[in-house]
Amino acid sequence: MKARFWGVRGSVPAPGPDTNRYGGNTSCVSVRTANGELIIIDMGTGLMHLGHSLLPTEFGKGQGKATILLSHAHWDHIQGLGFFAPVFIPGNQFVLFGHAKSSSMLEGILEGQMNPNFSPLYTLKNLGAAVEVRAVVPGEPVTAGSVQIIGRPNPHGSTTALAFRIEEAGRSFVYASDVGYGDGGPTPEVLALYQGADVLLHDCTYTPEHQATRRNRGFSSYEDAALAAIAAGVKHLVMFHYDQDYTDSDVDSLAAACRAYLDARGGSAIRLTAAAEGEELEI
Amino acid sequence: MKVRFWGVRGSIPVPGRLTNRYGGNTSCVEVRPRGAAPIIIDAGTGIRRLGKSLMETAFGDGGGSAHILISHTHWDHIQGLPFFAPFYTKGNQIQVYARQREDTHLQAVFASQTEDPYFPVPLSSLRAEIQFHELVEGAQFQIGNATVTCTRLNHPWIAMAYRIDADNASVVYCSDTAPFTDVLLEHEFIKSPPKVGAELPQAIADKLAEMRAALVAMCRGADLLIYDTQFTPDEYKRQPHWGHSTPDDAIAVAREAGIKCLCLYHHAPMRSDDAQDAILEATRATVLHAGDAFSVVAAFEGLELTIGEDE
Repeated sequence: MKARFWGVRGSVPAPGPDTNRYGGNTSCVSVRTANGELIIIDMGTGLMHLGHSLLPTEFGKGQGKATILLSHAHWDHIQGLGFFAPVFIPGNQFVLFGHAKSSSMLEGILEGQMNPNFSPLYTLKNLGAAVEVRAVVPGEPVTAGSVQIIGRPNPHGSTTALAFRIEEAGRSFVYASDVGYGDGGPTPEVLALYQGADVLLHDCTYTPEHQATRRNRGFSSYEDAALAAIAAGVKHLVMFHYDQDYTDSDVDSLAAACRAYLDARGGSAIRLTAAAEGEELEI
Repeated sequence: MKVRFWGVRGSIPVPGRLTNRYGGNTSCVEVRPRGAAPIIIDAGTGIRRLGKSLMETAFGDGGGSAHILISHTHWDHIQGLPFFAPFYTKGNQIQVYARQREDTHLQAVFASQTEDPYFPVPLSSLRAEIQFHELVEGAQFQIGNATVTCTRLNHPWIAMAYRIDADNASVVYCSDTAPFTDVLLEHEFIKSPPKVGAELPQAIADKLAEMRAALVAMCRGADLLIYDTQFTPDEYKRQPHWGHSTPDDAIAVAREAGIKCLCLYHHAPMRSDDAQDAILEATRATVLHAGDAFSVVAAFEGLELTIGEDE
């Protein structure tokens, strides 16, 4: 399978010349399975650009099908939905998995952003495509065509965010954004979710210095990400969800510091990259 | 007074190389009468950097005062508010103005923007003193020595245009609006585009004409008119019900109102810098050939204009 990054920024889109290389769009990753199925993870502003890229395919003709995984409903993870062109084309079908007490509650949360106070779309029912919303049961596998997906909640400030593991034919991709672990690091269930992954894409919002003063926000430093990667024995760690104030050169420094930290902690065998918009990764 | 642009984009922020020059942040303009507190119009993502710059002044110590006029509460006009740093410092005084709702108190609308599960910091926990002021069309009020006037626009669920008079100068902010010709936009979701140029029922045509006349009257003689010009004529024909205008619509209002400078604003998200340059050039050519007396600029992030008296 192949992963592609459409938005790698945390909290709020950060346009400007100093974010051109890594990109300023908020969280959105697509995974194309070997079987050709499309899985979309999070719906930040990057989703608009993914949507444009899909128009020349079956999605432009109203014959597209995709699975959408939603880590949590903070704005920067849902703000692209109303600008996702395929969702306005009748015939396209989406199944959206997210975390809530029930599927109807999750649907209500998504309705909230279409509320006429905030959006001219008025309701999800005006989107055109079929969008089926389903609450995820933590740890219970969901199948999407040839792949199996498992979601587990991580602490994220005053709330939680789902981490997802996608497996296909012995290959595994884990998405773990918006996570602020407690003092003990990841729970055993979450470590098991990350275990041995070919690629672990992990929240890397902050330097340890910034993280120390903003712990209540529920994000990781590169040290948290590196320690999780080492503990789970992953092959490749991908940094993700950079703070909106970090320039490209700040992210370069973050990556260099993370590399040094991995090497110093016994993780020298782990490949490390920093996610950049437009980049594709073969898993 | 000074007018500075912090976000000029419509609909959604668009980071990337194609928007480096005009900027990818959504709507936010700072109006600064001489020696006075800032009057901020709209709170798209551009307000984040404005907030950071204000924290270098009295706002950093909780001694700042600002007024925020909201055209309407669609996402691209409010999504920067939770990232406006002065909100998080005790002592800052911030007044927020927007159109009165038929069904909800304004404060409830803003509170729901940041409630669980959408944002981690609820409005009630912000440390600045924040007051909400509900406006009705035609209202006029004072902010210090500045006089603010407002009138309604033709946009889904209704947006407000504002005029600010201070220092013997005047600026009008007119975003977001459709022209007043093909569809009346109010509290209704319109599923498919109405036919452009078709005749409207008389009552609707009259209401639109009245709305436009009130806008032209409010713009009369303004030094600067900032106008929603998101669409090209072709784009407008496809989406006349989205509530945005073309440069030609802006020119017509500018001409009738006898303004001095027209500023193209609320650029379409997928409009590249080069495409925006071409729109500016074409608009200037139109105005030149018509012999109009006003000048034309296109808003970009960081543009600062001085109008009337300033130090």
